[in-house]
Amino acid sequence: MHLSHPKTPTAHASHLEFHKLRTLPSRSFIYSYATLSALTATLLVVLILGLLAYQSGSAIFEANDSLLGSVWSPAKNQYGILPMLYGSLIVMVLAMGLALPIGILTALYISETRSETVRRLSKTMLEILAGIPSIVYGLIGVAFLSLWVADIFYLQTGRVILTASLLLAIMILPTIITLTEDAFSNVATPYRENAYALGLYRFEVIKEVILPQAKGDVIGAAFLALGRALGETMAVMLVIGSLDRIPTPAYNILSSAQTITSKLGREIAESAFGSTHFNVLVLMSLILVVITLSLTGLAHILFKSAGSND
Amino acid sequence: MISRSTQNTIFTGLTCAAFFICTGLLCGLIITIIFKGLPALSLSFLFSPAQDFGASGGILYQILGTLLMVIVAAIFVVPIALGSAIYSSEYLRSHRKKRILELSLLALNGVPSITFGLFGLILFVNILGTGISWMVGSIILAIMMVPTTTLSTLQSMQSLPMTYRENGYALGFNRSQVIRYIVIPQGLQGLVTGLLIGLARAIGETAPIMFIATAFSGVTVPISVVEPVSTLPTHILSLTQQATNPDALKNAWGASLVLIILVFIISLSAFYARSKLKNLSQRV
Amino acid sequence: MTKQNAIISLSCSLIALICISCSAPNHVSVSGSTTVLPTVSKAAESFKMETGQTIIVNAGGSGAGFNQLGEGQTDIGMMSRDITQDELDRFPNLNFKIIPIGTDAVVPVVSSEIYAAGIRTLSFKDLDAIYSGTVDNWSAFGGPDKAILVIDKEASSGTRHTFMEIVMGDKNALAPGADLVLGANNEEQTALAQSDSAIGMLSHAWMNADVIGLSIKQNGVLIDPTLENIRSGVFPITRDLNLIIRSDIRPEAQAFIDYMLSAEGQKHVANSGYVEKRP
Repeated sequence: MHLSHPKTPTAHASHLEFHKLRTLPSRSFIYSYATLSALTATLLVVLILGLLAYQSGSAIFEANDSLLGSVWSPAKNQYGILPMLYGSLIVMVLAMGLALPIGILTALYISETRSETVRRLSKTMLEILAGIPSIVYGLIGVAFLSLWVADIFYLQTGRVILTASLLLAIMILPTIITLTEDAFSNVATPYRENAYALGLYRFEVIKEVILPQAKGDVIGAAFLALGRALGETMAVMLVIGSLDRIPTPAYNILSSAQTITSKLGREIAESAFGSTHFNVLVLMSLILVVITLSLTGLAHILFKSAGSND
Repeated sequence: MISRSTQNTIFTGLTCAAFFICTGLLCGLIITIIFKGLPALSLSFLFSPAQDFGASGGILYQILGTLLMVIVAAIFVVPIALGSAIYSSEYLRSHRKKRILELSLLALNGVPSITFGLFGLILFVNILGTGISWMVGSIILAIMMVPTTTLSTLQSMQSLPMTYRENGYALGFNRSQVIRYIVIPQGLQGLVTGLLIGLARAIGETAPIMFIATAFSGVTVPISVVEPVSTLPTHILSLTQQATNPDALKNAWGASLVLIILVFIISLSAFYARSKLKNLSQRV
Repeated sequence: MTKQNAIISLSCSLIALICISCSAPNHVSVSGSTTVLPTVSKAAESFKMETGQTIIVNAGGSGAGFNQLGEGQTDIGMMSRDITQDELDRFPNLNFKIIPIGTDAVVPVVSSEIYAAGIRTLSFKDLDAIYSGTVDNWSAFGGPDKAILVIDKEASSGTRHTFMEIVMGDKNALAPGADLVLGANNEEQTALAQSDSAIGMLSHAWMNADVIGLSIKQNGVLIDPTLENIRSGVFPITRDLNLIIRSDIRPEAQAFIDYMLSAEGQKHVANSGYVEKRP
């Protein structure tokens, strides 16, 4: 996108002049305003992380013994965060396990077997799906999904891990499909044409050519979706059952549990600002942010390296 | 060993099934919301205040509260997004610094929404002592919208060919004038698109505002900035919790439909703005 | 460019407008217990009609109500229990005043299917066994052979404090038998109605055809959860519904407190299904 016009001497001069102008110290109003905005925008995330770390610092000392336990009872100075960590983890993994295969297969269908019209239509539909606010998913979860899950598995209550995972899976599907579909479509056409010319079936083309090429992006999309799933609050909070306990046995996905986000959503308003209770909640939030940001970071690293392969 | 063609057929069947599961899910969701929501919708539902904790009456103040909060959030986010984009596109020459700005915006975008609520609760409601107020909600939603808006603005500013800027200098413009008369008008398109995408997300958010900006009942149009409001998402939350009361449930679906219609209107505007943007760069 | 200038000047004037209106709040805010909330909300509506004063009511639970009052975020806290020593210690420099506006009972409630199957009464010992997890089937009490869905409430809930203190002897007792933990009364009522084998603890005012209160068996006598029994103090699990204020209360908020205690305000207490303090 750099200079596209013919390199006449005058154009060259203006180019030089231009760069000189760029390096001139500028003290204009626009410069100070732009610098200030950029600083603000950059520092916001630092400010958020810093404030959370500052607020939760004391929690580690005040609740040291109990933090890594599994009993949560602020009135008795017990602040075990393991049940919440476990709940977040299992809900996230299960949602991913449900959404990833369906998402990838759908993306393959859209990118490999159909026309541009179907592709555009699907993309629009996905944006609609992604636009439904999470509280509406929560309503659907409480009014339908939890009742269905209870009926199907003969449970006493449908507010269980599986219900939350199913809802989350639906919520992260658009992210997975959109990103993986982009990855598949980005595989250069000549590769595909060569493979087909060799007489390979579509399945073989996808398995041998498309998937290996798009691997980085697909894994990146999965990490990004994991981050989304981990941070989702409202829908999970309404259907998870909010029981601060690791289910027995631990893989029992038909029992109630608690995630970090649902714990925060339910208890922040109840805890007094500055109390150990509050600080431990902030600490959980900090853990949540750190994990989410690591996942997002990993995703972008994978996107980048996948991009440089081309 | 399954033959190659059978493998292919199975695989094609699987992708086909996955696609139709997804389509079915989407259609099911939309149809459910529309069919459940339509019976509750009426002019009096839209334009009368909630009564009996939302089980009767309408959602007038919830709509007003939601609109007030996101519109003010948009007003907050515009100067910051525009300024950061100008800085990165016109003043920053080091690629490393550009990358730092971009990465911190991506990180901000990845922060879970409930964390923004906690941040607002600590910083504004407690440390700065604002109390529960819609303005704090607007500020927090604005922070959430910064990454999308800035990146979109930046993208459209960077798509402006160098020759445009050079032509400006050739006309005797100084740096500020080039930015003001050439770069910003081009960036505005991206700004609007990014802003609308951000708004479509912000308008449906519950977790960031439920501790810091909203109240349960008794709210009307706020007179000062330190008052809470009621919003559609938080109203749906409190109605969802009384899901066995059929009147409350019906109104919850009604409010959800209204919220989703608002989201769609904003998303459609974003599509429109984006297509205009495309046209412009094609013209270049 | 005029468009751009217009946007800039518009945003400037809006921000200016906002700053001007950034005066002290003139509304009274009340927040806390979801048990006290319906009464206060209804009273607030009629108070506004009479005086024009806006009262903003917010949920959150008893614990939240107290904390927000201590932190100065609300004028009046609603609590369906007493203030604990631990809570008082958080704000050593403040003076709080408790104003009871009504009496309520916490009733062990079951899904209508269980009630229909013949479970009409439980003793404190039975309830203790259910919540501590030693009994997990309705057949132990002569009911159907169905596992019990034990619904607990969030830890700082006033309903939970009252129930646990009287039934298990410790207001912060853990409930290892719980299957589900919920917050607001509405939410718990919904879960009870959606299930066909649940037990929970609910304020007297939330009982309905799907969610039925049990009698308490004490010393061989059955005590029904009726208004008469609550009024006379015979029903064993009762508590006061309180408004909490600070000594530095604003006159607008005090006016609302006075209204709640007036004959007019007490009508709302009775209409919500509680026993009024001033009959």
